[in-house]
Amino acid sequence: MEPTLDARARSARPPRPGRITAAVPPLCLPTRRRPVPTVRLQLVEVELVEEVHVDDEQSPIAGLVTAANQGDQEAWRELVARYSPLLVNVIRRFRLSRAETEDVAQTVWLRMVEHLGSLREPHALPKWLVTTGRREAMRHLATGRRDWPQDPQQDVWPVVLTDDEDPAEALDRAERHQALLAGLAELPSRQRDLLVMLMVDPPLAYVEIGARLGIPVGSIGPTRSRAIERLRQTPAMVAYQAGVDELSPSGGPGGRS
Amino acid sequence: MTERGGYDDEALLADLGEAWRDVAPVAAALTTRAQAAFSWRTVDADLELAALHFDSAAHSGVSSRAPEGAARVLVFSSTPLTVELEVLPDQLVGQLVPPGAADVTVETDAGTTTQVRSDERGYFVVAPLPGSPMRLRCDTATGRLVTDWVSL
Repeated sequence: MEPTLDARARSARPPRPGRITAAVPPLCLPTRRRPVPTVRLQLVEVELVEEVHVDDEQSPIAGLVTAANQGDQEAWRELVARYSPLLVNVIRRFRLSRAETEDVAQTVWLRMVEHLGSLREPHALPKWLVTTGRREAMRHLATGRRDWPQDPQQDVWPVVLTDDEDPAEALDRAERHQALLAGLAELPSRQRDLLVMLMVDPPLAYVEIGARLGIPVGSIGPTRSRAIERLRQTPAMVAYQAGVDELSPSGGPGGRS
Repeated sequence: MTERGGYDDEALLADLGEAWRDVAPVAAALTTRAQAAFSWRTVDADLELAALHFDSAAHSGVSSRAPEGAARVLVFSSTPLTVELEVLPDQLVGQLVPPGAADVTVETDAGTTTQVRSDERGYFVVAPLPGSPMRLRCDTATGRLVTDWVSL
């Protein structure tokens, strides 16, 4: 009986490189409730964990949320690094000072620490961050205890929203930025790292980028194309593009500089 | 590849770059602090998390800001206990429900803590105002709780 169970466990979870995601808990084997050879199952788990790292095509977010919820500090650090740009984007729209923005963002992250376990599912994280960030920024505005920027050199935002900009266009741009940053946050690491490096100003040479990422220069172009395609397919970008379609029957966002 | 009114790869990348450079300095500045936030994770299963259930600041609206000195009211609720908090210009005034004597600790993410004792009516005062963000820990005869973090 024991060897049979063992064989079932193995055939039920054959190694499938590139297919196992961190969202699939490696422990949901039906055989686990029954007396099974513990040692063998532990071996299977180790193999699965390794495949998670090899597989660069899956979004790592679900795995990071699950790991952080189990106390993995590295996973938390990675989530913060990935999602802080989106959170800052959401809060800064309320034109808070830089110090206020940091305090509101920190409040949101602190609260997230305690609410990780109550997310309905790991992919609810970005929505939770956006909703909570927006609400906390509005509360901050309403308390009337704002510390307005004292030193324009220190505290003022780099100007992106110009006062003479068409409000509809400014809104579209804000939504587009939010969708792009939300999509970027959930890309597989290599794709995200490359896109972030391509945004460095002044631009880096491909040789430099290849050296920093440890990939051949010849693969930068193809990786870039795949990363952009992947970004288009993220839920945030799909929703943004669908919204644009609804609002302007003639097609997508035109008039971009 | 062209999609949706000419939103091609180059335009998308240019937009992404604009969005990124707009937030990157502030995001970088807060990332270290936010990464350290994980050390505040509560692993004590007996500690109830009292979620922020009411905030007067969420109801006043931006256009009608509270006049100077008007108190902001926060209510945190957990199953056995509720904490009502008034934020005055120079102090916090709190009320535990059900009322009772309790140890109340105010902690900020900078690591400062202030401890006060509520009276038998559950009433307590914290002065001066703590830094921000902050939260409360309450150890009462009814139970122990920690509130959501709030920025004052």
